[in-house]
Amino acid sequence: MYVIEIEDLYFSYDGKVNVLEGVNLKIGKGEFVGIVGPNGAGKTTLFKIILGFLKPTAGKVRLFGKEIRYFKEWHRIGYVPQRLGVEQNFPATVEELLGSVTTEERIREIASYLHIDLFMNRQFLKLSGGQQQLVLLGMALASDPELLLLDEPTAGLDLHSQMHITEILRDLSANEGKTVVMISHDIGMVMKNVDRVVCLNRYVCYFGDPEGAVEPIEDIFGIGRSLKDGAP
Amino acid sequence: MELLSYDFVQRGILTGLMVGVASAIAGVFLILRRMAFLGAGLSHAAFGGIAISMLLGVDPFILTALFTLLVGNIVQLITSNRRVPGDAAIALVFSGGVALAVLVLGVAKGFSEYLFGCLFGNILMVTRSELILVSISFFLVLLFFAIFYRKLVLLTFSEEIAKLRDVKIGLMNHMLVSVASLVIVLSIKAVGIILASSMIVVPALTALLIASSFRSAVVISALVSAFSVILGIALAFYYDLPPSGAIVGGMIAVFGAAFLKKVLSS
Repeated sequence: MYVIEIEDLYFSYDGKVNVLEGVNLKIGKGEFVGIVGPNGAGKTTLFKIILGFLKPTAGKVRLFGKEIRYFKEWHRIGYVPQRLGVEQNFPATVEELLGSVTTEERIREIASYLHIDLFMNRQFLKLSGGQQQLVLLGMALASDPELLLLDEPTAGLDLHSQMHITEILRDLSANEGKTVVMISHDIGMVMKNVDRVVCLNRYVCYFGDPEGAVEPIEDIFGIGRSLKDGAP
Repeated sequence: MELLSYDFVQRGILTGLMVGVASAIAGVFLILRRMAFLGAGLSHAAFGGIAISMLLGVDPFILTALFTLLVGNIVQLITSNRRVPGDAAIALVFSGGVALAVLVLGVAKGFSEYLFGCLFGNILMVTRSELILVSISFFLVLLFFAIFYRKLVLLTFSEEIAKLRDVKIGLMNHMLVSVASLVIVLSIKAVGIILASSMIVVPALTALLIASSFRSAVVISALVSAFSVILGIALAFYYDLPPSGAIVGGMIAVFGAAFLKKVLSS
């Protein structure tokens, strides 16, 4: 049984232009998968369909073997969104945010695992970008999910924070047996860390080992063509 | 202490404290959900409800509360599917409520004085039965926030995460709007239609300037409101001022002080 199974998925926001076309994907337990693709390739839309926020125009999505229409066990999924859009005076502390999704005991476990104990009483919006991502990851881990979906978890972070988050994700996949699916624009980081790469540009151009992903990535980003044309 | 020896002042203070605390708590969530302007819209919509209750000769509190509740939920319904922008929908009920009241004023004679009185309210004229209705509403509002506090905190942070954590977003929004509607009707009794939204917005805004946590924002908002109510009523009593203006003036003075402190400390 696959954790995520997508068959011939189509999606359109306006009924005219397809954002996703014939997407097929099968992701198994414990896999660490990176999704790459240019802006507007449908990466975040794909996540929103998997999470049940958007309904597919056509095709099938199954989570843990169950068709998404009937899937109710959302506690088995943790999600780190790309943007939050909270008010600039949002006052909640890290402890209050974690407390809004889980119990005291689980908060202590998460804090200890992610090493966020030191800033539990600080306001979320006053933390650095890296610390905020750790808190979001902590919230995603609250229900001890089997599947983690992360939308650009390392975007805008310094190198140290990027490496720290990536190490945690690798550990969650390799040692905790969680399936981790991450959207990222950091192709180098994806190629270095994940088990499999999805190259998405409305449809899946490539799905396989990082080694074989170089050419498809060059193709969808137009890098190869630019280089051949003599562009810097 | 002479102030407290009068029954009407005691009723006014009690009403003001309950209305102030309920509005202030609701205000924190409404501001963080970007629904601050809803208060102004609903209070003016309530004007129409008051006019209808006058025309029908029924209890203004209950009918206005039901009317405002209905209007608030219609606003939520038509804005939730994004067919109508939130601010436009609020502007619609804002003008609709006033238009309704003006029509009733034109058609039925003899209510003008009462309706104009509703514009500015008078907390020192609260009756015993109104105090009972305010008390029941106050406990209902507190109960709502006590039960759904954690879900509301999550909802103000991220709707997407809240959805995954089994928070029924639509239902929660409708409940929050219903509580806001009730709080607005309570505030009208205290400070009138024109200033009712200040009871929701100003203390919460002050608290969000200086709070170090969500819980402290809620507590500070309630304290600012309670302090302003007592100060306003005392000023109104001793200096013969309109209580509504004195209460809201007190709230704005506290906001000014908090803002100044924030600017100076940064």
